Amino acid sequence: MLRASAVCEAAGFPTASLTCEGFFKQAAATSIGLGMPNIALALVPGHIGTKSPAQLRQDVLEVTTAAVIANLTQITQSTNALAEPAAKDIVVRGGFQAVNRYFYAHEYSDGLPIVPPTAEAIAAFMRFTDRDPNEVLGVLLPDRRAATVWTVAVNGVMAGCLPEYMPILIALVEAMADPRYGVEHSGNTPGGDTLIILNGPIIKTLGFNYTQGAMRDGFLPNTSIGRFFRLYLRNVAGFLLHKTDKATFGNTWRVVLAENDDVIKDLGWSNIGTEMGFAADDNVVTIARYTGGGSLSSVSGSTPELLLPYLADSLLRFNNWQITFTTSHGHGTLRPLAVISPIIAQTIAQAGWSKADVQQFLFEHARMPAWVFERQLRDWNIRGVWDLKDDVLNDRIPKVFYESDDPNRMVPIVWRPEDFMIAVGGDPMRNNAYVFAHNAFLGYPVGKRIGLPKDWDRLITELK
Amino acid sequence: MTTHSNDGYFEAYWPRGERQQKTRALAPRLTDLDGKVVAQLWDYLFKGDEVFALLEEGLRARYPNIRFISWRDFGSTHGDDEKEALAALPARLKALGVDAVISGMAC
Repeated sequence: MLRASAVCEAAGFPTASLTCEGFFKQAAATSIGLGMPNIALALVPGHIGTKSPAQLRQDVLEVTTAAVIANLTQITQSTNALAEPAAKDIVVRGGFQAVNRYFYAHEYSDGLPIVPPTAEAIAAFMRFTDRDPNEVLGVLLPDRRAATVWTVAVNGVMAGCLPEYMPILIALVEAMADPRYGVEHSGNTPGGDTLIILNGPIIKTLGFNYTQGAMRDGFLPNTSIGRFFRLYLRNVAGFLLHKTDKATFGNTWRVVLAENDDVIKDLGWSNIGTEMGFAADDNVVTIARYTGGGSLSSVSGSTPELLLPYLADSLLRFNNWQITFTTSHGHGTLRPLAVISPIIAQTIAQAGWSKADVQQFLFEHARMPAWVFERQLRDWNIRGVWDLKDDVLNDRIPKVFYESDDPNRMVPIVWRPEDFMIAVGGDPMRNNAYVFAHNAFLGYPVGKRIGLPKDWDRLITELK
Repeated sequence: MTTHSNDGYFEAYWPRGERQQKTRALAPRLTDLDGKVVAQLWDYLFKGDEVFALLEEGLRARYPNIRFISWRDFGSTHGDDEKEALAALPARLKALGVDAVISGMAC
């Protein structure tokens, strides 16, 4: 909403931005990144979602209307932005604890101790890339800060990464800066977090955990790179709690999920990196934002037909309000993810099923009655002026969502079978799965090839 | 103050990137809203339809000749096509003779 206001202001149209009480701090912080720190906000008291019609009427007529008038007729004085250090300034000198106190006090850390980013530590990271430290990989909202190779190294050091992770960190920031990903939405209220999926030989080279406990902290590369991503969102994109990060609850960062490429190759299936458009043996990071998820214990059955109904049902249950992105609001950008353990994948593949067959099954079986779909969004959530019929008749969504007037007709939760993403990982000998609820265009899946320095092999050999 | 004999000594660099956005001036404000054309922009979330209806009532009570161009004429300002939608806005507002904009909803 503020981005729309900023566009209008820049074009010469005065604006009033309707802002619920809980969003005032975020709006003020976000407006700095938009270059308009004094953009005009019109208060809507409390939160719109819990007001009675009478209360809403009173608040809008007595409070918001006056604020809109003031916004459009009076200019608010701009506050001077606080001076900041330059890109390569040393900001603190001292012992480990003093550095950590300073970084925490200045909101540079997540609350855990950081490794002090010193010249020596940063230089060690720079050895693992051929890129110029001043190269700008992108400009990240909401702060609109330059994402340089230098800041990648600094935050990598802080997160506890090892220098040889640097090529992965660079690829991650390239993905974060990709407009398709939508980093600017990372502070929304559902408070989702990014999952990094890793493919390629680099998994073994750098010692990632890709088997039992694949999404648990405990392995340095999986854990520290996950932490890096969150620190980078904080320090360069600019997402800070109580300011630009409006997660209602949120959660700690997710550790890197390394797929079990060995099993996938044996099955003749494609891995996630390949599905992002890269070669099977490329090192690839894929990122997407997920608002939640959960595990499926004991997915039982000796055939795909016996195994997959449980998975389809769980995809439905975990992707509840997220179906808003399947409608015109998200233009079909919902990409639910199922991570299945190797033994499940092997059982399915032994029946001759490809991953595309699994996706087709899920598309046909992860369905709900149309009235349930509409109740979720129109009656329970935030889309009071919407229905499936209107979306279909106006060519905004596929016809499969309105093939009759029967409210009990079954409708899918995605537009296409391939919208279901399937990864293989976790304990090879346990028949469990994990389903993620996706945040759609507010964190759309983006893959990037990991570029290695030309003397990578030598550098890695030297480490051993 | 506690002394940490093995606390080390570090010179730590700033972890943030430099801001790339210079401060821009807001558009000039209107002296009066009477007789002016106000566009409603909405992200189709959080009861904006109800809020805009109430705002029309409140503003008309004070400015009888104010005119509104409904959010229905613009479509959503938030979605997977947001960048394209926003890029097209200035020309559309000019074509419609808009004087000011109310944009919602941040909730």
